[in-house]
Amino acid sequence: MATRIQFENNCEIGVFSKLTNAYCLVAIGGSENFYSAFESELSDVIPVVKTSIGGTRIIGRLCVGNKNGLLLPHTTTDQELQHLRNCLPDQVVVQRIDERLSALGNCIACNDHVALTHPDLDKATEELIADVLGVEVFRQTIAGNILVGSYCAFTNRGGLVHPHTSIEDLDELSTLLQVPLVAGTVNRGSEVIAAGMTVNDWTAFCGSDTTATELSVIESVFKLREGQPAAIVDDMRKSLIDSYV
Amino acid sequence: MRLEKCWFCSSTVYPGHGIQFVRNDAKVFRFCRSKCHKNFKMKRNPRKVKWTKAYRCLHGKDMTQDSTFEFERKRNRPERYDRNVTEQTLKAIPLITKIRHERQKKHITNRQKQGKTKERERDAKELEQDIQMLPKKDVMLSTQKTKVVVKVSQQQTEENLMEET
Repeated sequence: MATRIQFENNCEIGVFSKLTNAYCLVAIGGSENFYSAFESELSDVIPVVKTSIGGTRIIGRLCVGNKNGLLLPHTTTDQELQHLRNCLPDQVVVQRIDERLSALGNCIACNDHVALTHPDLDKATEELIADVLGVEVFRQTIAGNILVGSYCAFTNRGGLVHPHTSIEDLDELSTLLQVPLVAGTVNRGSEVIAAGMTVNDWTAFCGSDTTATELSVIESVFKLREGQPAAIVDDMRKSLIDSYV
Repeated sequence: MRLEKCWFCSSTVYPGHGIQFVRNDAKVFRFCRSKCHKNFKMKRNPRKVKWTKAYRCLHGKDMTQDSTFEFERKRNRPERYDRNVTEQTLKAIPLITKIRHERQKKHITNRQKQGKTKERERDAKELEQDIQMLPKKDVMLSTQKTKVVVKVSQQQTEENLMEET
């Protein structure tokens, strides 16, 4: 179920939050609206944690994680690291990495089984990713962009990539990740998918600028619509539509 | 807030002190004061500059490997907060620093002990070879007769005395 929200009048949700199947990280905003939007949807299922990373609010782009672990840049302070370790469940391994490319959210995109990384990432970091997150790591580019973490968002059920991705690239990525992929946009044509939205296996949060078309694409590719209504729509479509234009 | 180490001299940089330099390859260099910063800008190698910790550890002047250093290592995988563990850690910290300082002092005294034994050897050799250089008065002292104590049993002497009289 996709929800449209804003962080302090900014539609880039993926920058200020990180959503996974096991936890949700939210930036500390001036008002509690952003946090309460997440809390109302998720608080009874997974922990929603308010945090900062290195004193900044752009936590979604700095960290990367899935249900097995969370990777943080070297700029994370000891207090923030301890706060995250205390708030997150024990199965989630919290690890700080020493890596030249410190915006891990822009360099790495992952779900619970596979990760795509920036081609220039260190070998040691790659091994740490495979170890902490428990994923298979692939060095890839998306539509010629090396920042794979920003230009695609994928979960265990589907993925959305940069709109200018060619069909061959799309097929290649689809076979690598083993999930259906769609090239699309978010927030009224923004190409930076992962910065504009955040998604897990059952919910998605998008910027309030996202059009209804974009939202329906997101809901269909990530399979967020409940099973039954979709089946009903499919059945009714044959009777409702008599000719395709 | 974190107490960092100066890249040049390895002393602690407290908040509000020093300069941080970030190079183009994203490596951060922290300096405790302008002395270290200026030495760095002159491209001096801290391993060759006598007053730095790097030089002293490299040349064996200061203690390098010890288990007390392991306590201060930077950890990237934190543990969940436990009040008892924190309390015991806080109690242990001054003990560990005291032990580390004692060991460092011991290392330096052991290093300087070798100098003492060498000095004694040199002195003994000098006594052996150059004894004629000393004035006569001091030489006499060495050849003086030493008192020898002889133990005499009390009973025998008393008997002798009795016999004589």
